[in-house]
Amino acid sequence: MATFLATYDFLIVSMVLAAVLALTLYLPLMAGQLSVASPGFYALGGYVAAILSTKVFHPPAGLYPVSLVLVEMAVAAVLSGILGIAVGLPALRLRGIFLALATIAFVQILGVVALNLDVTGGAIGIFGIPQPFSSQMQYMWLALPLLLVSMVFVARLERTRTGRALIALREDEVAAAAMGVSPTYYKVLAFTASAVLAGAVGAVSAHFINTWNSRQGTFDTSVNLMAFVLVGGSRTFVGPVLGGLVLTALPEALRGIAGVGGLPPWFAAFLRDGRLIIFGLLIAIGTVFFPQGLITPDLLRRLGRGRRTPGA
Amino acid sequence: MTGTLLLQQVLNGLAIGSVYAIFALGYTLIFSVLRIINFTHGAIFTLGAYAAYALTGSQFGINGLLAGATFPIRLPFVVALIGGSIVAAVCGVVVERLAFRPLRARGADPLLSLVSSLGVAVALVNIAQYLFGAEPYSYPDPLAGYPSAINFGSANQPILVRTVQVVIFVVSMVMLALLTYLMNRTRTGKALRAVAEDLTTSSLLGIDTDRLILLTFVISGFLGGVTGTLIGLSVGIAGPYFGIAFGLKGLAVIVLGGLGDIPGAVVGGLVIGLAESFVPAHYIAYREAVPFALLFVVLLVRPQGLLGRAQVQKV
Repeated sequence: MATFLATYDFLIVSMVLAAVLALTLYLPLMAGQLSVASPGFYALGGYVAAILSTKVFHPPAGLYPVSLVLVEMAVAAVLSGILGIAVGLPALRLRGIFLALATIAFVQILGVVALNLDVTGGAIGIFGIPQPFSSQMQYMWLALPLLLVSMVFVARLERTRTGRALIALREDEVAAAAMGVSPTYYKVLAFTASAVLAGAVGAVSAHFINTWNSRQGTFDTSVNLMAFVLVGGSRTFVGPVLGGLVLTALPEALRGIAGVGGLPPWFAAFLRDGRLIIFGLLIAIGTVFFPQGLITPDLLRRLGRGRRTPGA
Repeated sequence: MTGTLLLQQVLNGLAIGSVYAIFALGYTLIFSVLRIINFTHGAIFTLGAYAAYALTGSQFGINGLLAGATFPIRLPFVVALIGGSIVAAVCGVVVERLAFRPLRARGADPLLSLVSSLGVAVALVNIAQYLFGAEPYSYPDPLAGYPSAINFGSANQPILVRTVQVVIFVVSMVMLALLTYLMNRTRTGKALRAVAEDLTTSSLLGIDTDRLILLTFVISGFLGGVTGTLIGLSVGIAGPYFGIAFGLKGLAVIVLGGLGDIPGAVVGGLVIGLAESFVPAHYIAYREAVPFALLFVVLLVRPQGLLGRAQVQKV
């Protein structure tokens, strides 16, 4: 077990962070809005942490204080939230494909800006972001609470007035508006909550991967997040979380399977090098055959019932 | 800015803009018929460029599965361009069958086909990487022996345009003329316009809509392959991912022109080409953001595009 954790520490923390990021795509989707803007806020959060920890704060020698990481997360979350409101207010008048396109453009613009500013380190980015922990596994002290808190938040949200308003907007915006649900207010609320969370994840990730540049939080990330949510399930928060965990582990798992003896060499080579081909096909097959994703509220209800009355 | 420099930038802008235009027409044709955005268009662009590279008889690099392989015959560039575009058209058909038809048969949400096409795009790009490796390639220069630039000005006031830009512009215009002829002067074109107007009604009137949808994907794939090869000729194939960035730029073009609007896509392409070529040298690093900034602004101010009519949300 100890060697397993030591070998896969990076992967395990990445899985947890990916699950949180998947929730940032899920939040606006609860209101029926496909926004892929959260990689942009994730990138912003990372830059905030990278700049604060390397240029602004001058911590004593030794491990970087965790309290400062928490401060960075808070700053990143607030800045992302402000940008979220500023972008969300005009952009969320758009629907469907237009919103998706506008948010793609937003991520692209942020990427170009990050590539060209001095404060973000240009194309090289920011190196040597200080480490608050002596081992990568200890990042779980930040990543796991972040995941649990956001899961509880979204789970509670699904059962509150706000959450029901979001779901009403997803099912029928015109009818919901007629019932007194303000579409703009709730859409911007969900969008901003997503931005805040993505900013906080970015701040942790910047420390975790030790370097931050314009290749973080790009359109690639958007595609991955869509895969997490749509393959995992877009109708309950359990879907994105499991999708993020499993699909992040998938490439490593395929590499592991390729290492098992007895496979034809071409197949083993394909599993190793063609991982992303399989990933892409999974997204396509998932959306074609499981349009609501693998985990649906129905499935969860059936599982729940099975547990309470065994044998039924 | 002096007059000659201005004119030179206009010519450069028109050349790149004409490629954007025919690339964006690939998106537009499919959108006009199916109301969906085919995210594989950028990947098909890449595959077309690689196929044309192979057909010129050039050798593949050292990293992919096809490392060191060469196509047995060395075809002239023009034939390779057409051949590569045919390969791209075939990819378009595969994409239609894999990512779009199953969802259409169920009448699924258009956003789902957006995601399934993204999945196929990821798969295609990585198939390209698996086969050809990640290294950049450049075509054997078909213009070797010609001057590298043409002077459109006078001897003492030169307006120099790279020959390759001129070739690109001419090929784009030929494609545009062929497409205009097809859409406006043939029975098939009439049927295509009818299907774009109303899919259900035209199928009731006896138009084989499935066949026409397939044809749309063939034309769109072909246009994608042509642009991939032209851009590859101009700046080289940068690697399997080079179509993705270009594909996203194409989205800016179609939004600018109005989704599904054919003349709009041409205008949008030219506008973005010109806008890019007029970015001041001091801010040249921000050029890549220009199409997306335009996309964002147009979506907020005029979501129906420059030429489009406003659409009324019906209940």
